[in-house]
Amino acid sequence: MGSSSSSINHIPDAEKLMQETGFSAAHIFRLYERFEVLDRDGTGQLRPEDFGAVRELAMNPIGDRIIRAFFSPGQETVDFAAFVRILAHFRPTVTNWTRDGAQTEPANSRTRKLKFAFQLYDQDRDGKISREELLEVLRMMLGLQVTEEQLQSIAERAIQEADLDRDDAISFDEFRKSLEKVNIDHKMSTRFLS
Amino acid sequence: MFLDADGAAQRRTNRRQGAGRGAAKGRGRGKKPASEDEEEDEDDEDEAPRGRRGANKKKPAKGRGKNKEEDDSEEEAPKRNRKGGANKKKGGKAQDSEEEESEEEKGKKGKKGKKGGKEEEDSKGKKGDAKGKDKGKDKGKDKGKDKDNDKKKKKKKGDSSSDSNTDSEEEESMSEGEMAKLMEEVEEKKKLIATIRNKPWRMKRRLVHLKEAQEFVDKFEGALGKGKGRKWYAYKVMMTKKWIKFQRDFENFRTACIPWERKIKDVESHFGSSVASYFIFLRWMYGMNLVLFGFTFGLVVIPEVLMGLPYGSIPRKTVPRAEQDTAQDYSVLMDFNGYCKYSVLFYGYYNNQRTIGLLKFRLPLSYLMVGIGTFGYSLMVVIRTMAKNADVGGGDGDEGEFTFAWKMFTSWDYLIGNAETADNKYASITTSFKESIVDEQENQKDENIHLRRFLRVLANVLIICSLGGSGYLIYFVVKRSQEFASRDDLSWYEKNELEIIMSLLGLVCPPLFETIAELEDYHPRIALKWQLGRIFALFLGNLYTFLFALFDEVNTKLTEEGAIKNASIWAMKEYYANFTRVINDTEVTPPPMSPADVIRGPCWETAVGIEFVKLTVSDIQVSYLTILIGDFARAVIVRFLNYCWCWDLEAGFPSYGEFDISGNVLGLVFNQGMIWMGAFYAPGLVGINVLRLLSSMYYQCWAVMATNVPHERVFKASKSNNFYMGLLLLILFLSLLPVVYTIMTLPPSFDCGPFSGKVKMFDVIMETIDLDLPAFLGTLFSYAANPGLIIPAVLLMVLAIYYLNSVSEAYQNSNMELKKKMQMARDEEKNRRNNTDSTNQVMKDLEDLLPNASLRPPPEPEPEKPPEPEPKATKTKPGSAGKGVNLQKDVALASPNPNARQPVSRPPRGAGPGPGPGPGPGPGRGRGRGRGAPPR
Repeated sequence: MGSSSSSINHIPDAEKLMQETGFSAAHIFRLYERFEVLDRDGTGQLRPEDFGAVRELAMNPIGDRIIRAFFSPGQETVDFAAFVRILAHFRPTVTNWTRDGAQTEPANSRTRKLKFAFQLYDQDRDGKISREELLEVLRMMLGLQVTEEQLQSIAERAIQEADLDRDDAISFDEFRKSLEKVNIDHKMSTRFLS
Repeated sequence: MFLDADGAAQRRTNRRQGAGRGAAKGRGRGKKPASEDEEEDEDDEDEAPRGRRGANKKKPAKGRGKNKEEDDSEEEAPKRNRKGGANKKKGGKAQDSEEEESEEEKGKKGKKGKKGGKEEEDSKGKKGDAKGKDKGKDKGKDKGKDKDNDKKKKKKKGDSSSDSNTDSEEEESMSEGEMAKLMEEVEEKKKLIATIRNKPWRMKRRLVHLKEAQEFVDKFEGALGKGKGRKWYAYKVMMTKKWIKFQRDFENFRTACIPWERKIKDVESHFGSSVASYFIFLRWMYGMNLVLFGFTFGLVVIPEVLMGLPYGSIPRKTVPRAEQDTAQDYSVLMDFNGYCKYSVLFYGYYNNQRTIGLLKFRLPLSYLMVGIGTFGYSLMVVIRTMAKNADVGGGDGDEGEFTFAWKMFTSWDYLIGNAETADNKYASITTSFKESIVDEQENQKDENIHLRRFLRVLANVLIICSLGGSGYLIYFVVKRSQEFASRDDLSWYEKNELEIIMSLLGLVCPPLFETIAELEDYHPRIALKWQLGRIFALFLGNLYTFLFALFDEVNTKLTEEGAIKNASIWAMKEYYANFTRVINDTEVTPPPMSPADVIRGPCWETAVGIEFVKLTVSDIQVSYLTILIGDFARAVIVRFLNYCWCWDLEAGFPSYGEFDISGNVLGLVFNQGMIWMGAFYAPGLVGINVLRLLSSMYYQCWAVMATNVPHERVFKASKSNNFYMGLLLLILFLSLLPVVYTIMTLPPSFDCGPFSGKVKMFDVIMETIDLDLPAFLGTLFSYAANPGLIIPAVLLMVLAIYYLNSVSEAYQNSNMELKKKMQMARDEEKNRRNNTDSTNQVMKDLEDLLPNASLRPPPEPEPEKPPEPEPKATKTKPGSAGKGVNLQKDVALASPNPNARQPVSRPPRGAGPGPGPGPGPGPGRGRGRGRGAPPR
């Protein structure tokens, strides 16, 4: 890490990124290293296939969705800046990160974390998790172990539990409320640099 | 998630824990390790730079500045969490802010900069943190804010004062005035702490303020103080970190020390918590038996082996002449006769010498004490465990509110990177879903009460009939076997009839009961309890018939013994008489009779011990064979014959076996009962049992994973194993009775065992009191044994029990009250929040973003909502799993102003739906999801 100071300057937009995401220089450098490892052909752009090398993602039932989350719609590649911006969602929340940050909410706030998670489920990006979207995820998670009928009822129940306005879908607000008690800060935080 | 692939070892531990511990418990438990991990990581991050920093100190100022800067950014991470009202500084900001510094300050900074030492570095992080992240926005806040700004300014100065300075020195650069200001601030906070009682605030707000102020004072008081205070502060911080790390390591170590944890988790993730509960019980039993084993072997068996007389020295330690030819035959040994019978495994082998060896070890006393201590210890452990299990639960009654949504959104562990762990996790998620589905189905079964009741009564009648039948059968067989006992020409079947019938009953009845129990249609968890209870009754019958048979045997042996005792004395006399007559020389003392030739009594204690050992061993054989044939062979046949069979074996008739929880649990419980009863007469039995438990842990784990399929309806085990424990306690009590009875009333055999020659076994205690303890203690004991004292003591105990019982009832009541209140408070809280949310989205956002309530303009002076008790049925599961779409929805969450359902401004994408389909049921209705049958 000591060497990072010398190479931090190679990283494009490092300082802007640091300000934007709250990562420290060392974090950024570390991320950059990681990025370079993933970027096998050295183009400075990652393709979805490159993410497949991460075992944690390969194992994850919705891994490919997470990977897709790195790519803004229509784009096939992601550059370092976008990469870091996405990862900033996973920075641990700081309890008192700001006192009046209403205007620029950092990516690691609870709401933004939830939003990120929400979008993993909301595939058509209409702001709602519909029953079909839930079912799709359930199929990925439970596979063939559970009968289709049971899957249906699980989805039904999950919606029913969270759905407050009876529109048969989970909006972000409802999503947030249902996960109110879950410690999302821990679930969606990861320690960069180890 | 991402960088974990190259994570260090600690990350791996994290993963392991997440996978292992969190596997089926859901994320609830997994969460804790995660947070610990975090802290540890931070520790590491922090430690590394520290060391480096030391090295860097010598370097030219220029390079140092650079490094420092980076170190800061790393160091701030751990600090961040501890900061009260302070904000966090950004690592990279230092350079940006260079232009903003003012000249004189720079100079000052430069001067002081060189002094930067370790302490400063510690406090520096704090300073840095205190600096607002969003500089521009900090203006115009309250005092705390001002201070932050000050510091920020300072920070800028420090950084700008050329590269040679680091934040660590910025504290030094603080002007006197600023110092004083900070001081003042601290004082003020202290005052606030002192006077917070008198503030006319609501409790919550007070608490928030109090906490904030305390943190502030803690932080800055140490830092502001002169050298010593600061050092102390640094030391404290360091020690806290070390302590946290140590705790975490220790926790890890402890987890690693729990035996078979992985195995059980494996089983749990595939078969559900109910099957795992059996293995947990088995592990617990193993632990307990290990202690019993330690007592028995350490205090009885090993002293006898090491210090007692060797084999063949006295009659009781020698195989009689008549049996010596066959004493080594396999079949004899398998019956625990021959050499086995005259070995340290059984009661009869022990000598009645008062003390043995150089150490004067009082073996008979120790034998009796261990026999009683076994029961004492077991009782204590069982009851303690039950009590401990009983007070789990409580906590927040919020479980079951969003069961499915939570499971769905949060059950995956994102740190899993290992294929096998991932498989387990998949399995455990599936299992937990299935468990919830079963619970759910149970909750909204629609009832035909009368039919159900009729069926349940019918089932119970049937079962009572079969219980009675099997009881009679056992009685009949026992009678027959007593007849057989007097005959010699017995076939193999006739000899073993009793065991065979009992095993057969054990094989046939449980499945029969299970079939009958299907009539009852209980939730599987409750059905399991019924099943356990019924089989328990069946086995109990077996046990007690067995015991009565045994007592008959003992009584015949006792009468037989009286005759033999005389005969043996007479024989001894004869022997000497003959000897003197043959040798014809009264002067010569005759050589003692060879121990093998002495006439023996029947030694009923050893006979009883042998019965128990035989029973235990045959039980082991039967249960292992059952697994081998019933599960393994079946699985092999189903698996491989399936290729060439006319119907689908796997899906059709034989299929694979399910793990039989009730049978296994009861097997374990009864086996333990046998051990408790038999241990007094056969000390070796405890050793056999330990081996059995150990092997069956591995064997059954293997068998269940390899040959069984999960239950059709996987169900969640109740949180505590107290039902199993209750059975165990009952068995313990039942097995206590006969042993204590024999110890207190039956006379010990005259020529075998540690108590031979005494009238009663417990005389050994009297003897010790008389001979070894001072005289006054003897009189004391004799007073204590006086009924005049015992009866009042018993009365006192009864009164105490009554009193404690009523006290605990009162506590229980108040507990319930408190729980209700908590629930109410939570609902109220939720309502309020949702209300403000729906009325004023901006407000809500602010509320979310403002961690400290002090800055938040109180939205409404007082919550306009009275604590209207929402009849929110958290415990009862809402509606149907499948078709309950048309249920009343969960409206109560935001009840009282139904027109505010749609917030004014929705989050970007949430704007889709118009106002929901009507405001739903009014507030008064609450969430109408009762337990009642949903409308269909």
